[in-house]
Amino acid sequence: MRFKATIQNIHTFTKFTASLASLGPVAWVRLDEHEVRFTIIPEQGTQVWAVLSIDTIFEHYTIQSAAANVINLEVPLIPLNRALKSALRATSASIRLTKKANLPFLVLTITTNTFNRNALSSTTGGFGGGGAHAQSGSTHDTRDDSYDFHGASPSHDFGGSGRERETVVTQDIPIRVLGQASVEGIHEPRCREPDVHILLPPLMQLKSISDRFTKLALGSRDGGTGGTGGGRSAVASGLGPRLEIAANMHGCLKLNIRTDAMNISSVWTGLSNPELDAGQVEGGEEGIAAHPSTRMKELGDVQGKSEEGWAVCRIDGRDWGKVMSVGRLGGRVIACFCHEHALILYVYLSNNEEGGDESVLTVSDSPAVD
Amino acid sequence: MVSLKFTLSPEASVKIHDALLCLTKFSESVSIEARQDKLSLTALNSSKSAYASVSLEASRFFSSYSCVPSQGSTEGRFTCRLYNKALLSVFKGRVADARGRESAIDRCEVSVQERPDEAECRLVVKMVHNQGVTKTYKLTYESVEVMHALFDKNMAQNRWKIHSGCLKEYIEYFGPKTEQLDIYSEDGRVTFMSFTEKISDGKNILKHPLQTAVSASTADFEEFSAQEKLHIVISVKDFKAIVTHADNLRAEISACYSQPTRPLQFSYGGEGMHCEFTLMTAGDYRGTPAPAPSHAVASRSISRAQSTASARTDNHPAPVEMPPPSEAGSRVSTHRNKVPGSTRPPASSNLQRLQSDPEPLFVPLEEEDRRWDPAVFRDEEETLGWDASADNDNAPHHIFRDTAPAARSATDDNTEGLAPTQRVSQIRGLW
Repeated sequence: MRFKATIQNIHTFTKFTASLASLGPVAWVRLDEHEVRFTIIPEQGTQVWAVLSIDTIFEHYTIQSAAANVINLEVPLIPLNRALKSALRATSASIRLTKKANLPFLVLTITTNTFNRNALSSTTGGFGGGGAHAQSGSTHDTRDDSYDFHGASPSHDFGGSGRERETVVTQDIPIRVLGQASVEGIHEPRCREPDVHILLPPLMQLKSISDRFTKLALGSRDGGTGGTGGGRSAVASGLGPRLEIAANMHGCLKLNIRTDAMNISSVWTGLSNPELDAGQVEGGEEGIAAHPSTRMKELGDVQGKSEEGWAVCRIDGRDWGKVMSVGRLGGRVIACFCHEHALILYVYLSNNEEGGDESVLTVSDSPAVD
Repeated sequence: MVSLKFTLSPEASVKIHDALLCLTKFSESVSIEARQDKLSLTALNSSKSAYASVSLEASRFFSSYSCVPSQGSTEGRFTCRLYNKALLSVFKGRVADARGRESAIDRCEVSVQERPDEAECRLVVKMVHNQGVTKTYKLTYESVEVMHALFDKNMAQNRWKIHSGCLKEYIEYFGPKTEQLDIYSEDGRVTFMSFTEKISDGKNILKHPLQTAVSASTADFEEFSAQEKLHIVISVKDFKAIVTHADNLRAEISACYSQPTRPLQFSYGGEGMHCEFTLMTAGDYRGTPAPAPSHAVASRSISRAQSTASARTDNHPAPVEMPPPSEAGSRVSTHRNKVPGSTRPPASSNLQRLQSDPEPLFVPLEEEDRRWDPAVFRDEEETLGWDASADNDNAPHHIFRDTAPAARSATDDNTEGLAPTQRVSQIRGLW
């Protein structure tokens, strides 16, 4: 069993793992000759099914195994993310599967070149640069990363004339290798055809509003006025408050929270409902004609005033907050609503290369049980 | 009795704060030892495997400093121990102040209120603000002897020196839960590897912390001269605390060590502040024949604790001295009981052995110059007066025998009162 690759897009990979890490501690990773698949199926809450084309993140990709060159791994996401973060300023990074003392590891080898600071004087007062970040060429693209864990990007001055120095970091991520049998059952979450599909507004916007709603609902619950409906059952089950998310086929998205004390909603209008691709829908043109979303188009209006035409899903507010963390990837997000059943988000990563495969991250939220 | 009084500039207050913050990583209490020429803040961790000391030069660090011994004595010294959090909270607000210039302090005055005619003994810290506000903090302290670690630099032939900024960069790569740090060099590269020893199986394997190795060229070091493939293992937590503090000072860190299971010392400083950290190490030689057995990490602190001594110097005023902490006392007596046969060699051979053997670590010596001061041993000779064994050469390595401070009442310790008239073996029969 061999797996070895150079990571060519550390940023995407890091943000990707960070998004996944907020949804579950462990992912099942399936590597084959064409794609990398990450699956998270927690006992409850959000399932993730993510498929990345090899060249989205890797380069010089080598894979070999007895099982038709497929390797299945169980990978802890937080250590993986942590390891990748240390590569954010790297000149190069590679990953490989290895065994140490009979235990399997994914080993990340990171090379970082920085200017030598040794030219600086050792005295405490010897910093004149005032924290100017002179960057070596290799790190120019790392600064826009608002998720940079270093927070404190080096506050040292690089003013001194020095040669470049090379630091090599290896991060050993403990993993488990899964047998073919144990992963057979894993498949993409299946669900009936959605009633409404809509392109979501910028996730940061959506996240801040939904987080606020969730917080308000939590606050009013703590007020202890007692209650009925969603709020109450949430208390009983120890879950977060229920957000109600609805969309119609006329570009409207509605976010709603209802407690005893309040009923707040936010409505977006003018969003787009992408056309279905006849090639992708079962039954072609006819399939589209019979598709639930086609019927939903006849109901509702562009202002979102009508009571009709909404496909509604209720989701756990805190869970939703975690899902929204995929926003850091900056992809296009299409939400598919199966009325009162499930909400599936498709996240399409924009690849720089023209014609490159789109990588899809599917996040599906199981329906709220009320 | 010593009268101690000093004044700090706002910048020095910030440095005190940073130093205290670093010391909290080692122990929850901080010991202060004031002498005429310097003041030192020290911390010894509970397993006595790490000792941290920050010494401040009287003339350079302080705006004004006076540590005046009372009549007669020339060797005035004030020692005490405080709860670090209490002291830290006094200086805490000052950090923001001095940098933000909002309600900046003008100076910080510290004095010790310790006179027989006063009911309360307190460390008084006065923060004098620019706007005419003065905040006064009175802190209680414990009057104790301060323990210092002994480190023999001559024995430590592995040395390196590097700018703290580099090490700061390295520690950022380390996983958050790792416990130990292995430092070694090989083929011109130095590797810092953070790891956790426990290996778990099955499902838990995924919870195993990230193991991180950072390797850099020896050329990145200011100087590097250490034996190849010599693995020296210390605690990641200690290392992080030291590097973080050194990085605040923008200092260069020097490390020197002899071999695994022997202490390692980090030191750095500047502008009147000198920091020294003596850490116990584990590890082994890999690849080369191992002359030194690799000790289990767990046992290292224990073996070290036995060589801890709590001797006192005769110049300390006995009447005001509080009884030593019970922990020290119990250690003294257990030690005695355990190895009654091995008794103190004469002072001269004692001294000689000390020079040739870096084993004794944590000994209350006052400063480097006085490290070999025979007066200390003479003092011990007086308080401990038997010599039952003829073969000094075979005596164990704990040559700094624990000596109870004379201030302790004799009733506390029966052994103390025994006259040196019998062989220990004879006494043993009684028990």
